[in-house]
Amino acid sequence: MSIRGVLAVTGVECTKLAAQLKTRIVLAACVAGPFGFAAAMRVQSSVPTDTLFGRSVKESGFAIPLVVLGFGALWVFPVLASVVGGDVFSAEDRYGTWTTILTRSRSRSEVFGGKVLTALGFSALAVAALAVSSVAAGVLVVGSQPLIGLSGELVPPSKALISVALAWVTVLPPTLGFTALAAVLSVATRNSAAGIGLPVVAGLMMQLYAFVDGPETLRQLLITSAFGAWHGLLTATPYYGPLLEGTMVSATYIVVCLVVAYRMLRRRDIGG
Amino acid sequence: MERFALEALGVSKRYGRHEALSSVDLVARPGQLHGLLGPNGAGKTTLMRVMLGLVRCDAGAVRLLGAGRDLSIGRVPDGVAGFVETPAFYPYLSGRKNLALLVRLDGDGGAGGDRVERALEQIGLGPQAEVTVGSYSAGMRQRLGLAAALLRSPRLLFLDEPTSSLDPRGARDVRAIARRLADEGTAVIWSSHDMAEVEELCDMLTVIDRGRVVFSGATGELRQLAPAAVFLLRTSNNDAALELASSQPGVRATSLTDGALEVSADIEALDAYVVALGRAGIAVRLLERHQRSLESLFLDLTEHGAAETRAASRGAMNDSGPSQAAS
Repeated sequence: MSIRGVLAVTGVECTKLAAQLKTRIVLAACVAGPFGFAAAMRVQSSVPTDTLFGRSVKESGFAIPLVVLGFGALWVFPVLASVVGGDVFSAEDRYGTWTTILTRSRSRSEVFGGKVLTALGFSALAVAALAVSSVAAGVLVVGSQPLIGLSGELVPPSKALISVALAWVTVLPPTLGFTALAAVLSVATRNSAAGIGLPVVAGLMMQLYAFVDGPETLRQLLITSAFGAWHGLLTATPYYGPLLEGTMVSATYIVVCLVVAYRMLRRRDIGG
Repeated sequence: MERFALEALGVSKRYGRHEALSSVDLVARPGQLHGLLGPNGAGKTTLMRVMLGLVRCDAGAVRLLGAGRDLSIGRVPDGVAGFVETPAFYPYLSGRKNLALLVRLDGDGGAGGDRVERALEQIGLGPQAEVTVGSYSAGMRQRLGLAAALLRSPRLLFLDEPTSSLDPRGARDVRAIARRLADEGTAVIWSSHDMAEVEELCDMLTVIDRGRVVFSGATGELRQLAPAAVFLLRTSNNDAALELASSQPGVRATSLTDGALEVSADIEALDAYVVALGRAGIAVRLLERHQRSLESLFLDLTEHGAAETRAASRGAMNDSGPSQAAS
């Protein structure tokens, strides 16, 4: 496997993504969605009080990206992670194009590497687009007033911006973990509906487990726990334990899922 | 230049209890148009897939342009191209964009555009190149598949039923391209069900039946395997003549595509058959010695004579391939 080969496959995959309507729609929703949400918050009289920072959405623009972040953890991030990750391999089965790409000058390892890189890159891009758009929407629609932190302290705008940015960075590892999960399902099932849908269902099941009395160890092993790790960054005295645990769990998901997916693709008979 | 463009030796593949390929040998020299024949399910496409690295074989070795490789993960060597079954492309992209992507996948950036245009021109898809592949007919996709193969400047080309969806003119063009490539030194492996096409086009043949090679050698050598004299017969009622032949000892008749009968019999049996035709009121309009058609030989090989002809094919292979091929 060569870096050049992986990058060649990545370039081809990016061109394919750019030509697909679904990719454009998802990215457009990531950009436009937060503005719609911020505008709705501004004109309506009530605020989402049952959500972290929901009470502050009319008082500080920095609360908007944090509310979007909390909402995204429920199912938006799993969807963003799997919309490409869950389709990137199975699309070749759907179109019957495995024989076309595997009879060129690229090994299966390079094809695998390029596709995984594309899926991870798209997930990161979608999260980044949602983050930037949420911050922009909050600041432009509501304003850049100081933010009230989780400990009740007043966070000045410059520090609030950094905290919000870091909070969004912390959801990248679990999102990429979901992308890896979607990729392995895409390889295993050879079906795009399963590749995209099952990670979302798995994410919702894991969220439901949070409401059930069960072993704490199991709860820590759930990748969705990592989506809430950013709470520790918005307190007067930040705590990083959940963040480290979540990052390690996410890394484990990424490694295990990708190793399994690679072995399956490598051993597979194409059309035989 | 390599002595052999393709050496597939002792290739075996099993799917559960089904033995798809059993110790198959296939050897082709540079510049050779090699026909791969066999009935449906004989294992032709599986063999093509093994050689292109899409399917892992359980035993055997494949060398493409002199290079052996781990077929399960290795890349297809430069100069090797082809397709199996109907070529598939991304339906939301145009034919030109599909080819441009494949050029990038091959790692050829700069000169890729010119090669795409040349390939499109060669296969006559220029006017439809901007149309999305989703609206292509099967024949157009087959042409695009050939264009995709030509982009790799092949020295070894695998074509699986390359004219099956083409109109007669398209099929003629594709055959001409294959012949030209072979004249330029490319080894072409041409899998087909069309006996007449293979007979016209290919210098060498490998016939597969139920995963086993039942013949491999030159087209002329296959004809020499004919055990009995063959005659072309036209009568006033060919259907009745065909029915009558089935009751005549030592006579075997098959109907040809042009309506005539191909009769296989020694001279005594033929005399008796002609007399029987006269008694039945069937007039003989033409009776002449005939070169045996590849089709009837093919049917013999794959229906009856596999075991008997295998030994002969091994001898033929010894003349054309490496010594290991016959072992």
